[in-house]
Amino acid sequence: MERRKRKGFFRYDNVGILFVLPAFLYMLVFVGYPIVKNIVLSLQDVTVRTLTASDKPFVGLKNYIEIFQDPVFTKSLVNTLLFTVCCLIVQFLIGFLLALFFNQHFRISKPVRGLMLIPWMIPITVTALMFKFIFGTDVGILNYALRSLGIISQNIDWLTSADTALAAIISANVWIGIPFNMILISTGLTTIPKELYESASIDGAGKLQSFFKITLPLLRPTIESVLILGFIYTFKVFDLVYVMTGGGPVNSTHMLSTYSYKLSFEMFKYSKGAAVANVLLVILLIVGVFYLRATKEEEGNG
Amino acid sequence: MDEEKKIQGRKNIALCIAAIAILCIILFPVFWIVVTSLKTEQEIFQVPPTILPKTWNVKSYAAQVENGDFNMFRSFGNSFLISLGAMAISVVLAVPASYGIAKYRFKGRKVMLLGFLVTQMLPVAVLLTPMFILFKGMHVYNTAAAAIIADATIGIPFSILILKNYFASIPKDLEEAAYIDGCNRFTAFVRVLIPIAKPGVMVCAIFSFLYAWGDLAYGMTFILDQQKRPITAGVFYFMGQYGAKWSYLTAFAVVTIIPVALIFIFMQKYIISGMTSGAVKG
Repeated sequence: MERRKRKGFFRYDNVGILFVLPAFLYMLVFVGYPIVKNIVLSLQDVTVRTLTASDKPFVGLKNYIEIFQDPVFTKSLVNTLLFTVCCLIVQFLIGFLLALFFNQHFRISKPVRGLMLIPWMIPITVTALMFKFIFGTDVGILNYALRSLGIISQNIDWLTSADTALAAIISANVWIGIPFNMILISTGLTTIPKELYESASIDGAGKLQSFFKITLPLLRPTIESVLILGFIYTFKVFDLVYVMTGGGPVNSTHMLSTYSYKLSFEMFKYSKGAAVANVLLVILLIVGVFYLRATKEEEGNG
Repeated sequence: MDEEKKIQGRKNIALCIAAIAILCIILFPVFWIVVTSLKTEQEIFQVPPTILPKTWNVKSYAAQVENGDFNMFRSFGNSFLISLGAMAISVVLAVPASYGIAKYRFKGRKVMLLGFLVTQMLPVAVLLTPMFILFKGMHVYNTAAAAIIADATIGIPFSILILKNYFASIPKDLEEAAYIDGCNRFTAFVRVLIPIAKPGVMVCAIFSFLYAWGDLAYGMTFILDQQKRPITAGVFYFMGQYGAKWSYLTAFAVVTIIPVALIFIFMQKYIISGMTSGAVKG
């Protein structure tokens, strides 16, 4: 309706661009240009010497072909997918249960739910340190707890053995992700009209039945955006892994982001690092399209 | 919602106890590093571990003040400067931009909006090397400015997407009334619209600050000298240097959390609003 009213006022509407332009130009220079530059870098052969020089040899898709033959790259790709899927499932389930729990209106439900957001706000570097400490072999409280419960007899080298390191990182990331899932699902739950549950119970529906017949279907848009956004945030994980294991032991926990960083800033193979980062970007953009489609429906009425 | 009937009696007590138990489990890691930072190095490795320090030890904090390269209070100051800078850039650019997007249907609006949405999804790995080259060319490499410029690129799109909803919800009449009172577009925006959108501006300022405060990748890649680096990079390099000195490490970590804790205590409602509207509305 608004559009129709304004149709004759092109002049008025185009003034708006002046408000947006400063921010847009800023992002164009400091984000848009780097994206293009990163694509160019991945098609060149760049070394420390030629990094800031203007003339770099063009090698085509050579870097991409080489990284796909690189076992560490394949491993990081699999790791990133495995990490993301595990984190998403666990944090979504726990977040959902907690949202349902705190959705009951008992006395301290709101303030306690507020305090549950703390993990999400803590700088990831600190979270990584915290979990490194908890998962420590000799100093860690987890090994102590498992030993005193009689579950293990020998301390486990959580972070320094390839079998367990990824699990430790996943649990740290789940800890960060729970509040995010919980609060978004909580918000979704409050949009469901209470009358629906009332009339359902009059019709004789049990708690479980109304959960599957009312809660889940009405929560679908929320669940979709929680999962898609969660995927995007989790898939690009960097700090957590970089600080907790640095991709080790022997490259077993590398993610696409940390491997890209290692290639570029530790091994100075900038072009390979750029190629790995672009693979990461392409996957994120594909998922991003789903997200945009989900938000577009809202944008239409907004 | 507030009029809704609360659960009473025994069920209420049971739920409260369960809620507190859940909270304790979730927040245990935070409690654990705070406690550890106040123990002596010897007590940290003691078996069985002590829940509260037997001898309270604040040396881990005090020792940091003189400790050359890893002076955590200097790192704290660096982070503060970087975060404030990034916050200022984000707010100054995002407030008008979100107003423009919310209130005007200009050509290219959709493309710009899409651009801001997409930048939110970008992994840092894509930007690090090109930014590195760019900052070297601009001669800001190894200065706080490099981290400020980079961190603002996280705050700007987030802030625009949040604030556009605030501006969109302001009725057109208010703006028109301001024109009648003699305001032009710019003064109406500054005097009438920004004050109404103030809660949204607060959310943006807080999140831009927090994003910059939590950043590690930009701070450690674009700033070379440890003395100029933010506190997250300080913690990280301290870990590399003093691997098992957990009393120092946890003290460093606790200092890093302080501003986050303060923001959380005094501005919780903005946090919840930022988390939900940022994610769902897009």
